[in-house]
Amino acid sequence: MLLPVLLRPSLCRPRASVFLTRCVRTLRCDAPMPPPLSRAEHFLLRRLPARLHAQSRGIKSRGRKSKSQEETWKSRNKTGLTYIAAAGVGMIGLSYAAVPLYRLYCQASGLGGTAVAGHDAEQVEMMTPVKERVLKISFNADTHASMQWNFRPQQSEIFVVPGETALAFYRAKNPTNTPIIGISTYNVVPFDAGQYFNKIQCFCFEEQRLNPHEEVDMPVFFYIDPEFAEDPRMARVDTITLSYTFFEAKEGQKLPLPGYSYN
Amino acid sequence: MSTAMNFGSKSFKPRAPDKGAFPLDHFGECKALKETFMKCLRSNNFDNSLCRLQSKHYLECRMDNQLMAKEPLTKLGFKDLMDPPPSQADTDPEP
Repeated sequence: MLLPVLLRPSLCRPRASVFLTRCVRTLRCDAPMPPPLSRAEHFLLRRLPARLHAQSRGIKSRGRKSKSQEETWKSRNKTGLTYIAAAGVGMIGLSYAAVPLYRLYCQASGLGGTAVAGHDAEQVEMMTPVKERVLKISFNADTHASMQWNFRPQQSEIFVVPGETALAFYRAKNPTNTPIIGISTYNVVPFDAGQYFNKIQCFCFEEQRLNPHEEVDMPVFFYIDPEFAEDPRMARVDTITLSYTFFEAKEGQKLPLPGYSYN
Repeated sequence: MSTAMNFGSKSFKPRAPDKGAFPLDHFGECKALKETFMKCLRSNNFDNSLCRLQSKHYLECRMDNQLMAKEPLTKLGFKDLMDPPPSQADTDPEP
Protein backbone atom coordinates (compact mmCIF):
# COMPACT_ATOMS: atom_id res chain seq x y z
CA MET A 1 0.00 0.00 0.00
CA LEU A 2 2.82 2.32 0.77
CA LEU A 3 4.64 1.65 -2.44
CA PRO A 4 2.71 3.99 -4.70
CA VAL A 5 3.29 6.75 -2.15
CA LEU A 6 6.98 6.24 -2.15
CA LEU A 7 7.34 5.88 -5.89
CA ARG A 8 5.47 8.96 -6.95
CA PRO A 9 6.72 11.97 -5.04
CA SER A 10 6.45 15.21 -7.12
CA LEU A 11 8.78 18.10 -6.25
CA CYS A 12 6.29 20.85 -7.04
CA ARG A 13 3.68 19.81 -4.66
CA PRO A 14 5.10 17.26 -2.36
CA ARG A 15 2.77 17.81 0.51
CA ALA A 16 -0.29 18.02 -1.56
CA SER A 17 0.58 14.83 -3.31
CA VAL A 18 1.11 13.04 -0.06
CA PHE A 19 -2.14 14.28 1.33
CA LEU A 20 -3.92 13.70 -1.91
CA THR A 21 -2.90 10.10 -1.98
CA ARG A 22 -3.87 9.76 1.62
CA CYS A 23 -7.23 11.36 1.11
CA VAL A 24 -7.81 9.26 -1.90
CA ARG A 25 -6.88 6.29 0.17
CA THR A 26 -9.32 7.26 2.87
CA LEU A 27 -12.05 7.83 0.36
CA ARG A 28 -11.44 4.45 -1.09
CA CYS A 29 -11.28 2.81 2.28
CA ASP A 30 -14.24 4.80 3.60
CA ALA A 31 -12.43 5.71 6.78
CA PRO A 32 -13.96 8.71 8.70
CA MET A 33 -10.62 10.16 9.69
CA PRO A 34 -7.36 10.00 7.91
CA PRO A 35 -5.08 7.71 9.82
CA PRO A 36 -2.09 9.28 11.51
CA LEU A 37 0.93 9.80 9.35
CA SER A 38 3.02 6.74 8.89
CA ARG A 39 6.75 6.84 9.14
CA ALA A 40 7.31 7.06 5.43
CA GLU A 41 4.94 9.94 5.09
CA HIS A 42 6.69 11.76 7.91
CA PHE A 43 9.95 11.23 6.06
CA LEU A 44 8.55 12.66 2.85
CA LEU A 45 7.07 15.71 4.52
CA ARG A 46 10.28 16.51 6.22
CA ARG A 47 12.70 16.05 3.39
CA LEU A 48 10.84 17.74 0.62
CA PRO A 49 10.70 21.53 0.80
CA ALA A 50 7.32 22.96 1.42
CA ARG A 51 8.31 26.57 1.19
CA LEU A 52 7.20 27.42 -2.27
CA HIS A 53 3.72 26.19 -1.69
CA ALA A 54 3.35 28.03 1.60
CA GLN A 55 4.78 31.26 0.26
CA SER A 56 2.62 31.56 -2.75
CA ARG A 57 -0.43 31.81 -0.55
CA GLY A 58 0.43 35.03 1.44
CA ILE A 59 1.82 37.46 -1.15
CA LYS A 60 -1.37 38.96 -2.38
CA SER A 61 -2.87 39.84 1.02
CA ARG A 62 0.46 41.12 2.31
CA GLY A 63 0.63 43.62 -0.51
CA ARG A 64 -2.64 45.17 0.60
CA LYS A 65 -1.59 45.28 4.24
CA SER A 66 1.79 46.97 3.64
CA LYS A 67 0.28 49.95 1.89
CA SER A 68 -1.98 50.94 4.76
CA GLN A 69 0.75 50.08 7.19
CA GLU A 70 3.14 52.40 5.41
CA GLU A 71 0.61 55.15 5.62
CA THR A 72 0.13 54.73 9.33
CA TRP A 73 3.88 54.65 9.81
CA LYS A 74 4.23 57.82 7.81
CA SER A 75 1.64 59.70 9.81
CA ARG A 76 3.08 58.39 13.06
CA ASN A 77 6.54 59.51 12.02
CA LYS A 78 5.20 62.92 11.23
CA THR A 79 3.58 63.40 14.62
CA GLY A 80 6.66 62.06 16.31
CA LEU A 81 8.91 64.44 14.46
CA THR A 82 6.64 67.37 15.27
CA TYR A 83 6.81 66.54 18.95
CA ILE A 84 10.56 66.23 18.85
CA ALA A 85 10.93 69.53 17.03
CA ALA A 86 8.67 71.24 19.56
CA ALA A 87 10.70 69.81 22.41
CA GLY A 88 13.88 71.08 20.80
CA VAL A 89 12.54 74.59 20.41
CA GLY A 90 11.24 74.43 23.98
CA MET A 91 14.69 73.51 25.27
CA ILE A 92 16.31 76.42 23.48
CA GLY A 93 13.71 78.78 24.88
CA LEU A 94 14.24 77.39 28.37
CA SER A 95 17.96 77.94 28.17
CA TYR A 96 17.38 81.60 27.36
CA ALA A 97 14.81 81.99 30.08
CA ALA A 98 17.03 80.29 32.62
CA VAL A 99 19.26 83.33 33.13
CA PRO A 100 16.72 85.73 34.65
CA LEU A 101 14.88 82.88 36.33
CA TYR A 102 18.03 81.73 38.07
CA ARG A 103 18.77 85.23 39.20
CA LEU A 104 15.29 85.52 40.69
CA TYR A 105 15.69 82.18 42.39
CA CYS A 106 19.04 83.19 43.85
CA GLN A 107 17.63 86.39 45.22
CA ALA A 108 14.68 84.61 46.74
CA SER A 109 16.66 81.84 48.32
CA GLY A 110 19.84 83.75 49.03
CA LEU A 111 21.90 80.99 47.49
CA GLY A 112 25.50 81.82 46.80
CA GLY A 113 25.53 84.83 49.07
CA THR A 114 23.61 87.00 46.68
CA ALA A 115 22.58 90.30 48.10
CA VAL A 116 19.16 90.24 49.66
CA ALA A 117 17.08 92.64 47.63
CA GLY A 118 18.00 96.20 48.39
CA HIS A 119 19.05 97.74 51.63
CA ASP A 120 18.64 101.47 51.37
CA ALA A 121 20.20 104.33 53.21
CA GLU A 122 16.92 105.23 54.88
CA GLN A 123 16.99 101.99 56.75
CA VAL A 124 19.94 103.14 58.82
CA GLU A 125 17.87 105.88 60.29
CA MET A 126 14.91 103.69 61.08
CA MET A 127 16.47 100.53 62.34
CA THR A 128 16.39 99.54 65.95
CA PRO A 129 19.10 97.45 67.50
CA VAL A 130 18.32 93.85 68.36
CA LYS A 131 19.91 93.85 71.76
CA GLU A 132 19.55 90.14 72.48
CA ARG A 133 21.80 89.01 69.72
CA VAL A 134 25.41 89.90 70.40
CA LEU A 135 27.85 89.22 67.62
CA LYS A 136 31.59 89.23 67.66
CA ILE A 137 33.21 90.91 64.72
CA SER A 138 36.86 89.99 64.40
CA PHE A 139 39.20 91.94 62.21
CA ASN A 140 41.93 90.79 59.96
CA ALA A 141 44.37 92.72 57.86
CA ASP A 142 46.50 91.52 55.00
CA THR A 143 48.74 93.02 52.42
CA HIS A 144 49.79 91.73 49.09
CA ALA A 145 53.27 90.26 49.02
CA SER A 146 54.76 93.17 47.13
CA MET A 147 52.97 95.79 49.19
CA GLN A 148 55.28 97.34 51.71
CA TRP A 149 52.81 98.98 54.03
CA ASN A 150 52.40 97.86 57.58
CA PHE A 151 48.70 97.31 57.82
CA ARG A 152 46.95 96.01 60.89
CA PRO A 153 43.69 96.38 62.81
CA GLN A 154 43.66 98.44 65.96
CA GLN A 155 41.27 96.11 67.73
CA SER A 156 41.18 92.40 67.25
CA GLU A 157 37.45 92.10 67.83
CA ILE A 158 34.42 94.11 68.71
CA PHE A 159 31.01 93.11 70.02
CA VAL A 160 28.04 94.54 68.21
CA VAL A 161 24.34 93.83 67.88
CA PRO A 162 22.39 93.87 64.61
CA GLY A 163 20.87 97.22 63.86
CA GLU A 164 23.53 99.24 65.60
CA THR A 165 26.18 101.21 63.76
CA ALA A 166 29.73 100.52 64.80
CA LEU A 167 33.12 102.04 64.23
CA ALA A 168 36.40 100.19 63.90
CA PHE A 169 39.92 101.27 63.08
CA TYR A 170 42.81 99.98 61.07
CA ARG A 171 46.23 101.48 60.97
CA ALA A 172 48.51 101.69 58.00
CA LYS A 173 52.11 102.85 57.90
CA ASN A 174 54.38 103.44 54.97
CA PRO A 175 57.88 102.60 56.18
CA THR A 176 59.57 103.26 52.85
CA ASN A 177 61.05 106.44 51.45
CA THR A 178 58.72 106.65 48.51
CA PRO A 179 55.01 107.43 48.45
CA ILE A 180 52.96 104.35 47.86
CA ILE A 181 49.41 104.26 46.63
CA GLY A 182 47.35 101.42 47.94
CA ILE A 183 43.92 100.13 47.16
CA SER A 184 42.06 97.59 49.18
CA THR A 185 39.29 95.09 49.03
CA TYR A 186 37.55 93.19 51.75
CA ASN A 187 36.05 89.84 52.51
CA VAL A 188 33.53 88.69 55.06
CA VAL A 189 33.24 85.18 56.40
CA PRO A 190 30.91 83.34 56.74
CA PHE A 191 29.75 84.16 53.22
CA ASP A 192 26.07 83.98 54.05
CA ALA A 193 26.48 86.54 56.76
CA GLY A 194 28.31 88.77 54.31
CA GLN A 195 25.07 89.90 52.78
CA TYR A 196 23.98 91.38 56.08
CA PHE A 197 27.23 93.21 56.61
CA ASN A 198 26.66 96.73 55.36
CA LYS A 199 29.39 99.29 55.27
CA ILE A 200 28.33 102.87 55.47
CA GLN A 201 31.80 104.18 54.88
CA CYS A 202 35.24 102.69 54.80
CA PHE A 203 38.51 102.98 52.98
CA CYS A 204 38.17 100.30 50.36
CA PHE A 205 38.06 100.39 46.59
CA GLU A 206 39.61 103.81 46.39
CA GLU A 207 43.22 104.71 46.04
CA GLN A 208 44.82 105.81 49.25
CA ARG A 209 48.15 107.50 49.13
CA LEU A 210 50.63 107.37 51.93
CA ASN A 211 53.67 109.60 51.99
CA PRO A 212 57.00 108.25 53.17
CA HIS A 213 57.00 107.31 56.86
CA GLU A 214 53.41 108.34 57.26
CA GLU A 215 50.99 106.54 59.51
CA VAL A 216 47.23 106.99 59.34
CA ASP A 217 44.13 105.62 61.01
CA MET A 218 41.58 104.11 58.70
CA PRO A 219 38.08 103.84 60.06
CA VAL A 220 35.36 101.49 58.99
CA PHE A 221 31.80 102.51 59.79
CA PHE A 222 29.39 99.63 59.41
CA TYR A 223 26.33 97.91 60.76
CA ILE A 224 24.76 94.48 60.66
CA ASP A 225 21.31 94.42 59.10
CA PRO A 226 18.63 93.81 61.76
CA GLU A 227 17.13 91.13 59.54
CA PHE A 228 20.12 89.05 60.44
CA ALA A 229 18.40 88.15 63.69
CA GLU A 230 15.38 86.80 61.84
CA ASP A 231 17.21 84.66 59.33
CA PRO A 232 17.05 81.01 60.40
CA ARG A 233 20.23 80.23 58.54
CA MET A 234 22.11 82.69 60.68
CA ALA A 235 20.88 81.25 63.95
CA ARG A 236 24.22 79.62 64.71
CA VAL A 237 26.44 82.41 63.48
CA ASP A 238 28.09 84.25 66.34
CA THR A 239 31.32 85.43 64.81
CA ILE A 240 31.82 87.38 61.65
CA THR A 241 35.28 88.06 60.38
CA LEU A 242 36.05 91.12 58.34
CA SER A 243 39.25 90.87 56.40
CA TYR A 244 40.88 93.67 54.42
CA THR A 245 43.67 93.22 51.94
CA PHE A 246 45.76 96.04 50.55
CA PHE A 247 47.34 95.98 47.15
CA GLU A 248 49.64 98.41 45.51
CA ALA A 249 47.92 100.49 42.89
CA LYS A 250 49.80 101.03 39.68
CA GLU A 251 49.56 104.32 37.83
CA GLY A 252 46.71 104.49 35.40
CA GLN A 253 45.12 101.25 36.50
CA LYS A 254 41.44 101.42 37.24
CA LEU A 255 39.88 98.93 39.56
CA PRO A 256 36.31 98.07 38.64
CA LEU A 257 33.94 98.87 41.42
CA PRO A 258 32.16 95.76 42.68
CA GLY A 259 28.51 95.14 42.26
CA TYR A 260 28.48 95.39 38.51
CA SER A 261 26.00 92.64 37.87
CA TYR A 262 23.88 92.12 40.90
CA ASN A 263 23.42 95.48 42.52
CA MET B 1 37.76 81.97 46.24
CA SER B 2 35.13 84.36 45.09
CA THR B 3 35.77 83.49 41.45
CA ALA B 4 35.13 79.76 41.84
CA MET B 5 32.78 78.66 39.12
CA ASN B 6 31.16 75.72 40.89
CA PHE B 7 27.43 75.71 40.81
CA GLY B 8 26.02 76.34 44.24
CA SER B 9 29.31 77.21 45.83
CA LYS B 10 28.96 80.09 48.14
CA SER B 11 31.10 82.97 47.15
CA PHE B 12 31.49 86.39 48.55
CA LYS B 13 30.52 89.38 46.49
CA PRO B 14 32.02 92.55 47.87
CA ARG B 15 29.85 95.61 47.78
CA ALA B 16 30.87 99.22 47.61
CA PRO B 17 30.24 101.18 50.81
CA ASP B 18 27.05 103.19 50.92
CA LYS B 19 28.68 106.54 51.30
CA GLY B 20 31.98 105.83 49.62
CA ALA B 21 35.41 105.97 51.16
CA PHE B 22 36.72 108.01 54.06
CA PRO B 23 39.39 110.48 53.04
CA LEU B 24 42.59 109.77 54.87
CA ASP B 25 43.32 111.78 57.98
CA HIS B 26 46.84 112.73 57.00
CA PHE B 27 47.24 115.40 59.66
CA GLY B 28 45.82 113.42 62.54
CA GLU B 29 43.17 116.00 63.31
CA CYS B 30 40.85 113.50 64.84
CA LYS B 31 43.46 111.24 66.29
CA ALA B 32 42.80 112.32 69.87
CA LEU B 33 39.16 111.38 69.64
CA LYS B 34 40.09 108.13 68.10
CA GLU B 35 42.34 107.37 71.03
CA THR B 36 39.48 108.15 73.41
CA PHE B 37 37.29 105.76 71.52
CA MET B 38 39.90 103.02 71.57
CA LYS B 39 40.47 103.51 75.27
CA CYS B 40 36.75 103.24 75.89
CA LEU B 41 36.61 100.03 73.87
CA ARG B 42 39.50 98.47 75.73
CA SER B 43 38.08 99.29 79.10
CA ASN B 44 34.65 97.99 78.19
CA ASN B 45 35.84 94.71 76.80
CA PHE B 46 35.35 95.84 73.22
CA ASP B 47 31.64 96.29 73.52
CA ASN B 48 30.51 98.71 70.89
CA SER B 49 27.19 99.59 72.50
CA LEU B 50 28.94 101.30 75.37
CA CYS B 51 31.25 103.42 73.26
CA ARG B 52 28.80 104.85 70.80
CA LEU B 53 29.07 108.30 72.25
CA GLN B 54 32.79 108.37 71.54
CA SER B 55 32.28 107.11 68.00
CA LYS B 56 29.71 109.85 67.51
CA HIS B 57 32.26 112.43 68.64
CA TYR B 58 34.83 111.03 66.26
CA LEU B 59 32.49 111.25 63.31
CA GLU B 60 31.55 114.80 64.25
CA CYS B 61 35.23 115.68 64.30
CA ARG B 62 35.63 114.21 60.86
CA MET B 63 32.76 116.21 59.53
CA ASP B 64 34.13 119.40 61.04
CA ASN B 65 37.51 118.88 59.44
CA GLN B 66 36.27 118.14 55.95
CA LEU B 67 37.14 114.51 56.31
CA MET B 68 33.60 113.30 55.92
CA ALA B 69 30.51 114.48 54.13
CA LYS B 70 28.34 116.44 56.50
CA GLU B 71 25.20 114.65 57.35
CA PRO B 72 22.71 114.66 60.20
CA LEU B 73 23.87 112.06 62.65
CA THR B 74 20.42 110.54 62.89
CA LYS B 75 21.02 109.23 59.41
CA LEU B 76 24.07 107.41 60.67
CA GLY B 77 22.19 105.49 63.29
CA PHE B 78 22.80 107.81 66.22
CA LYS B 79 19.18 108.69 66.70
CA ASP B 80 19.16 107.53 70.30
CA LEU B 81 22.23 109.59 71.11
CA MET B 82 20.93 112.88 69.79
CA ASP B 83 18.55 113.38 72.68
CA PRO B 84 20.11 113.34 76.10
CA PRO B 85 20.58 109.64 76.66
CA PRO B 86 18.43 108.27 79.53
CA SER B 87 21.14 105.89 80.71
CA GLN B 88 23.73 104.51 78.41
CA ALA B 89 25.60 102.69 81.17
CA ASP B 90 22.67 100.37 81.87
CA THR B 91 23.20 98.11 78.91
CA ASP B 92 25.22 95.20 80.24
CA PRO B 93 27.70 93.55 77.92
CA GLU B 94 27.18 89.88 77.13
CA PRO B 95 30.18 88.62 75.24
